Amino acid sequence: MTIQKNCLGVSRRDCLKLGLTALGGTGFVEMLRLQAQGSGTSAAPARSCILIWMDGGPTHYETFDPKPDAPAEIRGDFQPIQTRTTGVYYSQHMQRLAGISDKTAIVRSIRHDQGNHGAGNHYMMTGAPPRIPVGCGAFVSFHPSLGSVTAHERGAPHGLPAYFSMPSMSRSGGPNFLGARYAPFIVDDNPNSADFRVRDVALPRGLSEGRFDSRREIRSEVDRMQRIADQEAGDPVNALDEHYQQGYNLIRSREAQAAFDIHREPNRVREQYGRNPFGQRALLARRLVEAGVPFITLYDGGWDHHTNVFNSLTQRLPSWDATVATLIEDLDQRGMLASTMVIALGEFGRTPQVNRDAGRDHWSNSMSVLFAGAGTPGNQAIGATDVRGYSPVGRTNSPENFASTVYLKLGIDPGKILYTPQGRPTHLVSETEPIRELMG
Amino acid sequence: MRNLPFLVGVLLLLSIPLSVHADDLTVSPSDATLRGKTARQRLIVTLTKDGKASDRTRDARFESQTPNVVAVSADGIVTPTGDGSGTIIAKVDGIETRATFKVIDGKRDLPATFEKDVQPILARMGCNAGACHGKQRGQNGFQLSLLGFDHDFDYAAISQEARGRRVFPASPANSLLLLKPIGEMPHGGGRRLYKSDPHYSVLLRWITAGMPRTPQEEPVLERITVEPTERLLLPSPPWRGAGGEGLTPGAEQQLVITAHYSDKTSADVTHLTMFQSNESVIASVNADGRVKAGPLPGEAAIMARFMEKFAVCNIVIPLPKSVPAEVYAKLPRKNFIDELVYAKLQRLGITPSEPCGDATFHRRAYLDVIGRLPTPEETKAFLADKSADKRAKLIDALLDRPEYPDHWANKWADLMRPNPYHVGIKAVFTLDAFLRDSFRKNKPYDQFVKEIVTAQGSTWQNGAVVMFRDRREPAELTTMVSQLFLGVRLECAKCHHHPFEVYSQDDFYSFAAHFGRIGRKGTGISAPISGSEEVIFTAPTGVVKHPTSGKIMPAKPLFPLSASPGTAVPGLADEDPRRDLAAWLTSEHNPYFAKVAVNRIWADLMGRGLVEPIDDMRATNPPSNGPLLDALADHFRKVGYDQKKLLRTIMTSHAYGLSSIPTKQNVGDLRNYSRHYRQRLRGEVLLDTMSDITGVPEAFSAAPPRTRAMELWTVRTQSVFLDSFGRPDPNQDPPCERMSETSVVQALHLMNSPKLHAKVTSADGRAAALAASKKTTPEIVDDLYLLVYCRYPTDTERGNAVCRFEGVPRRQATEDLLWALMNTPEFVFKD
Repeated sequence: MTIQKNCLGVSRRDCLKLGLTALGGTGFVEMLRLQAQGSGTSAAPARSCILIWMDGGPTHYETFDPKPDAPAEIRGDFQPIQTRTTGVYYSQHMQRLAGISDKTAIVRSIRHDQGNHGAGNHYMMTGAPPRIPVGCGAFVSFHPSLGSVTAHERGAPHGLPAYFSMPSMSRSGGPNFLGARYAPFIVDDNPNSADFRVRDVALPRGLSEGRFDSRREIRSEVDRMQRIADQEAGDPVNALDEHYQQGYNLIRSREAQAAFDIHREPNRVREQYGRNPFGQRALLARRLVEAGVPFITLYDGGWDHHTNVFNSLTQRLPSWDATVATLIEDLDQRGMLASTMVIALGEFGRTPQVNRDAGRDHWSNSMSVLFAGAGTPGNQAIGATDVRGYSPVGRTNSPENFASTVYLKLGIDPGKILYTPQGRPTHLVSETEPIRELMG
Repeated sequence: MRNLPFLVGVLLLLSIPLSVHADDLTVSPSDATLRGKTARQRLIVTLTKDGKASDRTRDARFESQTPNVVAVSADGIVTPTGDGSGTIIAKVDGIETRATFKVIDGKRDLPATFEKDVQPILARMGCNAGACHGKQRGQNGFQLSLLGFDHDFDYAAISQEARGRRVFPASPANSLLLLKPIGEMPHGGGRRLYKSDPHYSVLLRWITAGMPRTPQEEPVLERITVEPTERLLLPSPPWRGAGGEGLTPGAEQQLVITAHYSDKTSADVTHLTMFQSNESVIASVNADGRVKAGPLPGEAAIMARFMEKFAVCNIVIPLPKSVPAEVYAKLPRKNFIDELVYAKLQRLGITPSEPCGDATFHRRAYLDVIGRLPTPEETKAFLADKSADKRAKLIDALLDRPEYPDHWANKWADLMRPNPYHVGIKAVFTLDAFLRDSFRKNKPYDQFVKEIVTAQGSTWQNGAVVMFRDRREPAELTTMVSQLFLGVRLECAKCHHHPFEVYSQDDFYSFAAHFGRIGRKGTGISAPISGSEEVIFTAPTGVVKHPTSGKIMPAKPLFPLSASPGTAVPGLADEDPRRDLAAWLTSEHNPYFAKVAVNRIWADLMGRGLVEPIDDMRATNPPSNGPLLDALADHFRKVGYDQKKLLRTIMTSHAYGLSSIPTKQNVGDLRNYSRHYRQRLRGEVLLDTMSDITGVPEAFSAAPPRTRAMELWTVRTQSVFLDSFGRPDPNQDPPCERMSETSVVQALHLMNSPKLHAKVTSADGRAAALAASKKTTPEIVDDLYLLVYCRYPTDTERGNAVCRFEGVPRRQATEDLLWALMNTPEFVFKD
């Protein structure tokens, strides 16, 4: 039996840091050096990351990894289509994305061993496996998510929240020990509706700017609580003052307010993204990226196709494909793709055998992950699954490699050690090797 | 069998001699034995002047009287040069003192062996640190046990793995173990060692000798001691900078760590010890064990660790200007708390702030006891009451309020509420009912804990059993029970020897064995619903095994109780070992049980725990006021673990009623309660309060109308407000702690949330009603101030506010003033 020497898992309260001195990211520096040598680009290409979370676990067969040579019960109903990339095929409904495969990389080498939603979500969203077995329905967090860490390490300008999640948070997308400050800012309203506004950063409906200004004046007039100015006194009131100031700045910042105002987009663009909640959230994400928000999760539920996978996807995929392709093309046309990373994935792939309900079940042995932008070399499929799609052949990549890739592109050292409030040292990612082909 | 750190306790023996002695110079140790050529002894030279001791080691002049026996370096490190007896002289300010040495084998290298000589070096150099080879899976293929607690594992890793290249006895200097740290081969950890370093020669000798293990019959390390165990230091003037340039007399202290072995020998291991300060702003310590006071008064505990042993030196830095004793003598004393708070303040030379005003006290007491604000009528009545004991009467009245159980059950729900996706929603509900019922009955705390620890029955009927549904492995129960009820964090010891504690994996699994016989009948966990019932009972059999050795562990408490030396009496075979555990936990002789409970409550009321984090009790994390923590724990036991009585005692103390406004003199005090420490209101309290003030109740899904946030029994009840203000989320494991900090998201939410806006502007709300009433504008202003700040406005405030009504529709002006008041810190904080 292997002796577990150390607990890498995160605990809210544990040890002090005596003797656990960090060495600093030697590996990180080396990584950046290699990367810079490889591509000649700057060390941290990504200003922002848009993570499209396909909750439930999207089928790899019907998206980016068709298996035309597999028996019918595995192959399924859909046909493969040729992409712009020689030798790379997508499933038939990924038409728009197939047409821009020169801008994207499909990773087929990622696999892991967490075949239920709670655990798979945790592993992919944080780069750390859940510390104890958890069930399918579990909403767990043992480790800060990619988005929370990015918010912690990068911050955002204009008083903007640094991590958005729309329309809800993914199960393990929380901050864990980093604390509520780094929780995602949830925008749950539907940006496709005519009266959409982002909660709290816009004045409540019915409140004029003039009235808000006068309230603000009254506020500063009634605010007479004595502040303890000395830093050493540690008066928490000073922090609240700062937060109000930042809040005011956000409300008053034209850049920030413009970022939220999806109504400024021409109708043509809004149509291109798709006049549906997911499409409009993708468009809003682009606006947030323009304003400097470093991490946005588009939570896209309903990929848990235990039944009726072909019918459902025939309905769903064309518009999903159009939205994601539009997002990538739009970023590219605006010159933002070089600094924006777009990722689409779920917690795992789906079973090779189509089940008796014409569905596919959970399968973490293989999955497909779409990457674009931020220096990701396009025109490639990384790794390959076997002829039946059971598992990657040759080299495989772990969720740790995936998370390290995301962090490195965002200029965050995946080997960094963060301390819990109680001083327990925690590695961001336990295995800091990225997926090299994505690094450029 | 173990040196329990709490027995060492916090020594607070700073007795100042009554008579003034002549200047006295001492060197420590005044005699010592050096064994072997590489032995060494660090000296400390202490000058005592007017009863005040200060470390003068760095400006002492050392000289060996017997250079052929011992040599001494300029900084006071004595090394052997021959055999026999020797003398060292130390001189300071023309005064002389001497130390004598006996040297045995002074010209001979004693054999270097693995456990005794090599492991401490690897620890000191940081090789087996958590960030390096000590981390899980090691570093670049080389893995050591964390901090070197597993000798067999480490020995194998060094001497056998990597095809034997790590150590190369045929050519010892070419061993990777040496080439890497001295930088002759690439080393991710950089250069850690020099060839001239004594550690290098020890490692070299060890490899040359064929890497011997330390023989079993060798004396074992029994304990380490630190000298001094406590010291008053002067604050170092800030203008001297952090560089440490120049000497700051009285602001520094060298420590010496001595290892004591089972054969009664001892050795100086200062150079192999790791040091850490728990408050490095107050006093920092460098790698050599030299403590340096910061510019602020306060206290710090300096922890020294050599292998698995610890010692603590307590540093006190009083304010430079002394305060006459009669200042403290004149302070009002309501009970023992004041006595002990003042005693501590006096030691530090800090004086307390003024008492807070009646309105502040009133608001504070409401928030602390029942988690809501007083109504304007309640405030008016209290302010008008002229009786001398009105504060005490208020506390009594609040303790009888029906909101009390909900407020306090809520705090325990933070600690115990499991994830409904895991245990099922109904189990969460029964746990909630159990907690509320316990506080409604003011159940004695020991009984409350006994009921939880020994609970049996259905998860649908007895909420006390829910912990056993949620935590299904003895190990998971162990960490929870030890942290909740003892404030002992055992998580580390689950996988390896606890790095900062005395607990080993053996201790962990022996403790876990108390939960070896938990039987479960019914439907287990089937997430995400887990909707079924389960019955928890005591099974006739069941064991807990050590995860590596597979040995069946006997159920054993973590440590013996002082009143019953030896281990506790094992339970009868047919009885539930949990009953033994409960008896041991709640024993009056268990030093931790009452302490962690009173510390939690104290922290809630006073804004800061005597021990922080509040449930991390260990010798290496001493309380800011040990005698007070002891006295509070003692009091809690004496009143039969009656929480209401404890609350009354704390709240009637003078210390509880101090103002939060510091004096110039106590502004830096964050741990000694010389003033009240402000706290942001909890999310539930804030939301309920806003509903009360605006007169518009919150509507929660699946809860009856007028349900208060404080009455919610699961975090599955959606609330953007509560999420923004940081309620603990049991979906996180372990449940994340309640956040008390503020954030931009919170500020934005208070300013702009459509829901709060609707409350302020509701046609059925308070603002509308006030505006429509016959009240005059000044009366409306008074009402709003009373509602939100729980005080009358000053004349200026009233005047300003009345002006704001001019030319503005009355309802709008009322709403705007209400909004403004609720968006200020005077509302958001407990002052």
